[in-house]
Parts: sequence; C-alpha cells; structure tokens
Amino acid sequence: MPSISLTLNGRSVSGEVETKTLLVDYIRENQKLTGTHVGCDTSQCGSCVVHVDGKSVKSCTMLAVQVDGSEVTTIEGLATGEELHPMQEAFRQNHGLQCGFCTPGMVMSAVDLVAGNPDISETEIREGLEGNICRCTGYHNIVKSVQAGAKAMGG
Amino acid sequence: MPDTGTITSGGIGDAVQRKEDFRFLTGRGTYTDDINRMGQTYAVFVRSPHAHAKIRSVDTSAASQASGVVSILTGADMVADEVGSLICGWNVVDRHGEGHKAPPHPPLAHDTVKHVGDQVAVVIAETLSEAQAAAELVEVDYEVLAANVDTGSALSGPEIHPEAPSNLCYDWILGEEADVDKALANSAHVTELDIINNRLVPNPMEPRAAIGEYDMATGEYTCFSTSQNPHVLRLILCAFVLGIPETKLKVIAPDVGGGFGSKIFCYAEETTCVWASKKIGRPVKWTSTRSEAFLTDAHGRDHVSHVKLGLDANGKFTALKVETIANMGAYLSTFASSVPTYLYATLLAGQYTTPVIFCNTKAVFTNTVAVDAYRGAGRPEATFVVERIVETAARELGVDPAELRRKNFIQPDQFPYDTPVALTYDTGNYEASLDKAMGMIDYAGFPARRAKSEANGKKRGLGISAYIEACGIAPSAVVGSLGAGVGLWESAQVRFNATGSVSVFTGSHSHGQGHETAFAQLAATKLGIPFENVEVVHGDTSKVPMGMGTYGSRSLAVGGSAIDRACDKIIEKGKKVAAHLLEAAVEDIEFADGNFTVAGTDKSKAMEEIVFAAYVPHDYPEGVEPGMDETAFYDPGNFTYPAGTHIAEVEIDEATGVTEIVDWVAVDDFGNVINPMIVEGQVHGGIAQGVGQALLEGTVYDKDSGQLVTGSYMDYCMPRADDLPSFRVDMTTTACTHNPLGVKGCGEAGAIAAPAALINAITDATGAVTVEMPATPERVWRALQENN
Amino acid sequence: MKLEGTYIINASKEEVWKAMNDPAILQQAIPGCESLEKISDTQFTAVIKAKIGPVKASFTGEVNLENLNPPHSYTLTGEGKGGLAGFATGSADVSLNEHNDGTELIYLVDAQVGGKIAQIGSRLVGGAAKKLSDKFFSRFAAVINGEEENPE
Repeated sequence: MPSISLTLNGRSVSGEVETKTLLVDYIRENQKLTGTHVGCDTSQCGSCVVHVDGKSVKSCTMLAVQVDGSEVTTIEGLATGEELHPMQEAFRQNHGLQCGFCTPGMVMSAVDLVAGNPDISETEIREGLEGNICRCTGYHNIVKSVQAGAKAMGG
Repeated sequence: MPDTGTITSGGIGDAVQRKEDFRFLTGRGTYTDDINRMGQTYAVFVRSPHAHAKIRSVDTSAASQASGVVSILTGADMVADEVGSLICGWNVVDRHGEGHKAPPHPPLAHDTVKHVGDQVAVVIAETLSEAQAAAELVEVDYEVLAANVDTGSALSGPEIHPEAPSNLCYDWILGEEADVDKALANSAHVTELDIINNRLVPNPMEPRAAIGEYDMATGEYTCFSTSQNPHVLRLILCAFVLGIPETKLKVIAPDVGGGFGSKIFCYAEETTCVWASKKIGRPVKWTSTRSEAFLTDAHGRDHVSHVKLGLDANGKFTALKVETIANMGAYLSTFASSVPTYLYATLLAGQYTTPVIFCNTKAVFTNTVAVDAYRGAGRPEATFVVERIVETAARELGVDPAELRRKNFIQPDQFPYDTPVALTYDTGNYEASLDKAMGMIDYAGFPARRAKSEANGKKRGLGISAYIEACGIAPSAVVGSLGAGVGLWESAQVRFNATGSVSVFTGSHSHGQGHETAFAQLAATKLGIPFENVEVVHGDTSKVPMGMGTYGSRSLAVGGSAIDRACDKIIEKGKKVAAHLLEAAVEDIEFADGNFTVAGTDKSKAMEEIVFAAYVPHDYPEGVEPGMDETAFYDPGNFTYPAGTHIAEVEIDEATGVTEIVDWVAVDDFGNVINPMIVEGQVHGGIAQGVGQALLEGTVYDKDSGQLVTGSYMDYCMPRADDLPSFRVDMTTTACTHNPLGVKGCGEAGAIAAPAALINAITDATGAVTVEMPATPERVWRALQENN
Repeated sequence: MKLEGTYIINASKEEVWKAMNDPAILQQAIPGCESLEKISDTQFTAVIKAKIGPVKASFTGEVNLENLNPPHSYTLTGEGKGGLAGFATGSADVSLNEHNDGTELIYLVDAQVGGKIAQIGSRLVGGAAKKLSDKFFSRFAAVINGEEENPE
C-alpha cells in the first residue's frame, strides 16, 4: 500500500492508503471527518466538495493518493474555532440550508466560486453552483447566501 | 456552547435563525452513515437485475469463501426464521366492500423477484469493499418472466401476484356516479381531458441508511435509521415483521438529510440489518448508494386519469368526474393505498363549489418499485387534475381563467364548508390570495409583456394554480373508519429542569424543517422564557413519548399543538404552586409573559421561581406532585386546509422549445406563522420540486424489459440552481379554527401548486391543449409545431 | 433495442458462411472478445469485455447458433452475465445473399440489457451497440479478406 502525507485542515497527516481509495472515503473513513458527504455515485451531486490546494474538487472524483503533498480543506476546517467563515455565516443568516446534507459541499463550492468576485451576479452564482444539487431549498436562499457571503468575504 | 447566531427575540412570528445550523454548517451534523459502532460489519444487498423473474437457485458457495465475508443470508433464511412480510398500514375498502389486495412483501425475496432492484440476498463482511466484492460472486439463477411496467395498461398485462387477479389492488370510488353523470348530461358545456401525472423519484440528498445492533446481554436491539417517524418504524418492525417486544427495540433517527415522504416507510434494508445483527452477533450497517436509491426508494405520483368537468351557461361548475389508474408498484408500501384515495379524491373540490363529484381509482400492481407518499402525496395529483381542467374549460369557453376561478370560489361566508368529497373546510379566503397574486405579477400587464416577447421571437405564457391541500390527517377516529391502521395524533413532553431550562420532546421528526427552532419559539413564547433556554429533542424512541412522526405537513399543526397543550398543563400546575407561594386562590392567578400574578395586584412570581419550587418543594402546596414535566397527546378535530394561488410566467424559445421561468409569485394562506423565514424556505423548496416535476423529472421504465433507464443523476434530471428563478413569496392569513395555534402547515404547498401553474403557462404559450410532464424542450417544441 | 445493417464482404457465400462458424475468426472479429470456445457445432462460450459509458464489465456467457440454413442464414442467440454490471441478452438474424462484389450480409439484432448497464448507461447503449456491431462486421470482413485489421 502506498503511503501519503498531506495537510488536512491545517494539520499534517500521513499514512498508508489503498490505491483504489477515493479521497472522499479517505476523509470520511480513514480520517473520520464526516462533514464531507456522499450523495450520489456518478459525481453529479457535489455533496462531497472539498478544497485541494484552495480549489474546490468533488472528492469522489479523486483518489486519495492524488492528494499526496497537497493541502486539503474540508468543511470542518473552514471555521476558526467557533467563529464561522463569512460564507457559513451568510448561509445561516439567509436560511441557505434546510436538512444540511448538501450544505458542506455547497459552502465549499461557494467559497471557491466567489473568490475574487465580491459582486458576483445571481446568474454567475446559479451557473457556478450547477454541480451542486440541493433538494430542500429550491436554491433561492442559497443564491442569496452566496451573494451575501461574497460581499462579506470582500473578494 | 457555540454561538447560535443572532437571536431577535425568538418568539412566535420572528424570523429567528435556526438552532440547528451551526452543526450543519460546520460539518458536525450526525447522519446515520456518520455513525460507526464497535465491531460493525457492512451489508451489501444482492438485487435482481430483472423486472420479473422466478428465482431458480441462489448459490452463495463462492461468495462465502471470499475474503472478509461474515455471513450471507437469503430469503430462505428469513423464511426459516419466520420473518414477516412488510406491511401496508392502510386498508382501503373497494367499491364492493372488499379490502385491498396486499400480497406478501418479503424483505428478502425467496421465490420470485418483482422489480429491478428487488433484494434477493445480503452479504455481510468486515469491510464495505469486501462485501461488495463478495456480492459479485453470489450466483442467482433466474427464470425471466414477462414484465409489466406501464400504468395505463397494467390491468391487461402479465400477472404479478396470484393474490391480485388482473394486477388490480383495488377498485375504489368516492361520490355517486349516477348523480355526476346526470349533472354532466345536463351541463351547458363539458370539458374533457386526459391527464398523466408523471412518476417521480423523491431523491432526498441523503441516501437511506441503517445500522442494526443487538445486545446479547440485555436482549435489546437498536436500529439507527434515516426515518421520518421512528416510532412508526419501531411499531411495524416489532408488531408485524420481526416479532420483537417494543421494549426491546430502540429506533434512533438522528440528523436526517431530507425525506419528502420517501423515509416514512418501513423498508427491507433496515428490517434485514436488525434481523441480521442478532444472527451474526455484531452490528450490521447498510448505506444506500444513489443507484440503489433510484431502484428501491418508494417513488411518487404515477397516475393516468380521464377527467370531465361540467359547466352551466353562466360558467358555474356543475359536476366533476375523475377516473384514475394509480400505479402501486410491485408491492404495497407502508401507506401506498391511502395516497390515490383518501389523500387524492377528497381534494377534488379544490377551492370551488362544484356540487357533485365522483372519483374512481383503480390501483394497479406493476413490475416497478413501490409507489407511495412523496411531498404532497395525492394532493398534488388532485390539484393538477382540478387546475388543469379548470384552465382548459376557461380556454374552451374563451373566458378569463382567473375570472372563471373567481366565479366558482367558495366564499369566505360559506365556511365551514362541506365539500361533496367528505371534507369540511374550516376557513379560507381564496379570492384574497388570487387578488394578491394577480397584483404581484401585474396580471393586467401580461398582454403587453407577451407582445414584447413575441417581438423578440419568444412565446410567453401565464399559468394560474389555485390549490388547496389538507394537512394533519385527522381525527384518529375518522381515519380509523377509513382504514388507517394507526391513530394520527401527536405527542409532546415539556420538561422544565430545576434551573429553568426546558427540554421539549416531540414525536415529530425534523429532517430539514427546523423543528429545533420553530418548536423552541413556540414553547418559549407560551412559557414566557428565553428562546435560548429551550432545547427540542426528537428522533429517539427511548427518549421521546410514542409519536407518529413527520409527513403531510403535520408537524406544527399536530405536533406543535401537542406542545401547546403540554405547556398549558405546565401553566396550570404552575398556577397551583404560585397560588401557594403568593397566598392567593388558584383562580386568582393569571399567567402572562412568564409571570404568575395575583389578579389586580403586583404580587408576582416568575416561571423560573415556580419551577425551582416544584423541584425543591420545601414550601409547596399540599396534594400537588413535585416536578414540572408534562406530557400531552393531541388529536386534531379536523384536517387543516392551507390554500393559495401561485402564478407562473414563462418564455419559450421557439427554435429550441426551452422553457424559461421568467417570474413566479406565490401567495399562500398557512394560517398563523411561527417563523416566516422557515416558512418561506419551505415554499421555495416545494416550488422547486413542483417545477422539477413539470419541467425536468421523468421516471422511465423500459416497457419491454422493465429496466429503470433513468436510474442516475445523468438521466434523471434534478432541478439545479440554473434551472430555477428566484421566487416572489407572500401570504394571506385566515387562522385555522380548530387548533390552538391557528396554524395550517406549509411543507407541501409549493409542490402541490407548482406543476399546474407551470403547465398552464406552457399550454398558454404554445396553444397546445396539453403538454405532458416533464415538459422537456422536445415536448414543448413538438407542441409548438403542432399548434402553429 | 433493435439494430440492423448490411455489409458487403469480398468473398463467396460459402467462404463467409464458413467464417461465420469458425470460432477463431469470430473471436478476432468480436470487439473485446477474450475467449471463445466451441462446445459443440452450435454452441460456444465467450468472455467479452465491454465498456458502455461509465460501466465496464467482463461478460461471460453462451452463444448458440439456431435456425441453421447453410450457407444462407442462421440466428445467433446469446446471454451474457456481467456480475453487478448487469446482463445482456439478444439474438441476431444473419442472412447471406450473393452480390456483385461478393456476398451481402444482412443482420437484424434484437438485444436487451439489464441491471447497472441499463440503469446508468441506457442512453448510451444504442450508440455503443451500433458501434460494436460496425466494428464486428468490418473486422469480420477484414479477417475473411485476409487484411490486417487494426485491433482498435
């Protein structure tokens, strides 16, 4: 089994991993970080989005061995202690979540989507989140949240 | 304690932020698949690739030698253990006085498989990948039989159950057919329409999951499950399927990632996990893949109907006749039989004074997965029938569809109103919602907007849907007389702790609805204590009194009313304690804003002081029990009747047939509102699912092979952010007259209203009489070609 | 799912017929065929690897020759199991006619897939099957004609 080492939510981790292990399974099963969710098996739903070296990635489309040497951030690593990231706070303020299952992936996608674009338009947000499925909110409040989050992040 | 966000008072009517959000936003929710138990094993089901087949043999010899395999169990093992059939909890009595046909539904099939995905065996192994690999090695020899998947022709297709000749589950009627036929014959105009309500896959984002665990020391089972109603699941598993005393099975439904009805039911998988956990002496975990969810979660809708509406010379409706074939799938799911009958035909009056209505529903078995309640359950199908035929009649007669509706509305002074289909509407003001919606969308300005669109080469259409629904199915005695196997009350326990915080235990279950917040607002307001001091506990049968769970927009109207009643009991007891401490008569104690006051004086004790006295009863009234912990069971006197008007406006590209929703207004009457932010969110989500049904989502079983060919997100078109507009949502209010909160329920309204609004808009734009759902660009394009 | 097609093969009817019954030639021609063993004159077992959309599977199954009318026509029937990927069943009526350029081969395929292939790959099955059929007959013709056929 190959060995990998990476920075996960700011912490150095290393260990052996089977070559066929998907990144999402590595995060959930090996690292016991269960905030990253699995909502489909065809890389469509986006519930498993994490950041790899700052870019949003569906962690079901990557193998764990591919993140050797990378910096990976999951939803658990976004807030600073009990202080929410501005995007998380925007989702709370704007009721951008209901059941919470798609939320981690949605928030991680949104953070990457709005980076450097504080005045992102509704159309850009809707197109940018096309790879994240939410069944509860009808996206209305997610769009509002992302817009507010973008402003709060200041680009 | 983590920061729970900005609290603006937290009383009834405040858009307070949700208590549950901090854990969801930080990835700290606990969904069933996030739970891992000591010594846990993993289950993978071997499923039928055929729609209909005899099982000749199941050979597990190679698989049982595979690495990590703990056990392989088959239908034969279940038969040997006398595991019961999965049940349908609502016995519909047909037009001849006979009960519906409920053929056996074994959790693991042992002689035949009846739909693609039917489970044949379960492989239990040390790891998930070992279980998957071993499942590949289970050899099942099938004798393939002809498949029957089409709703409209199921009655004449290959027979599926010997217990159900011609695949008929029941032939059920409501109303007097002769009266309706006579009224139609005497009508000045009769509008007829064939209506298909397309089959849908519910698709909560969290796939179903279960862990069964058996404690040999105590003989107790635990079932972690993605359930909307843990007590109902416990009841079915214990009393009907596994024969376990209810004291020996604990069902825990932790954070659940959406349900929309599909997580009401008792499924084969949790049944198997619980059963297998004792057989192997270790916890057994199963998590559905999305592919399995498509094949095994109960689907929704799937009706084929023929409808006739009669009108007199003045445009007043004279009669409505509806004949529906409803697909039940291969087996009768937990509440399947009630959906196209008591939740459907009873709503066919809509908002109108139609004097006579007849409905005939033929429920049929097919080689498809079971069909049961999905967001709205029967009521979206009813609204679609009523609002499509009314719209069509208006167009045939050349009258304004809004005015035709207005002319036929039940008027505010007619409540309580007895419909010809067995319901009594308590209150409503349908014209108020219609007027507000028409104002919001600028109905009068539509012709100008249409002209502008046409100048840009686009077809524009406007569609109205004036819906009604019935929430909080009740009262228990009535539903019992109609065949329900359970009561439909709800429980609540309100427990003050000695230092003034409150735990509210509810039999309802939250899987996105925000009960932890709304119920806390309710209790805080009622008890006059801070919102932050209330915690809501739900989803664990070992903590919460027996409850009926969450579906049918019942949680607030029924569960909330139970909390209100339990709070009443707290206040009554508190008055006795306050009277003692304040040296006054109990009758003289008034309670308001968290204070017990002697009427007409400034002598007062705060709730917290009374509670403390109740737990530290050093100075306490005689004959009053210590403690401050009250339970209430609330059985509503009637359904609640949320209603409203949604209007959709669309633009269609003539070259491509692509429909763009350019505006959407929703005006709903939900009665009193506890948290408007949560209510609006429910409306948005409901509309999105209704738009999904009307524009995007179609479930296709191949007619020859019975294969589900829309079995993933690549082929089943879920609404995405760029498919939808923002919605304009507003409300009118008539308070429900028969529950203490005056609330009606809001969870399903959008899904009920939306499909008719959208199809009415698309047919308006294209000039077609009908465009089948989902109105894909191809179908819309064809409609344009045929009508231009 | 039904597919049909016509090919002209530059060989005599008898030569084509012989090839149609020769496992070695068939194995060369069937895309992804890993083995083809003759059990009897009318029965073969086959292992075929196929990829349809995202589903990749190894099918094991039987092929039977029926309605033999040498050297004019036969019907191939087959059933393949691909484990969790699902199954494929089908039949092909193949007939040969004399033609100016050799022999005209006409086929009519009726095939069904089930399980995961149907669920995930249905949309792609028609296209994939057409492509595989084309590949098969062009290789078949090439093998008979003794041409070197690029395996992909």
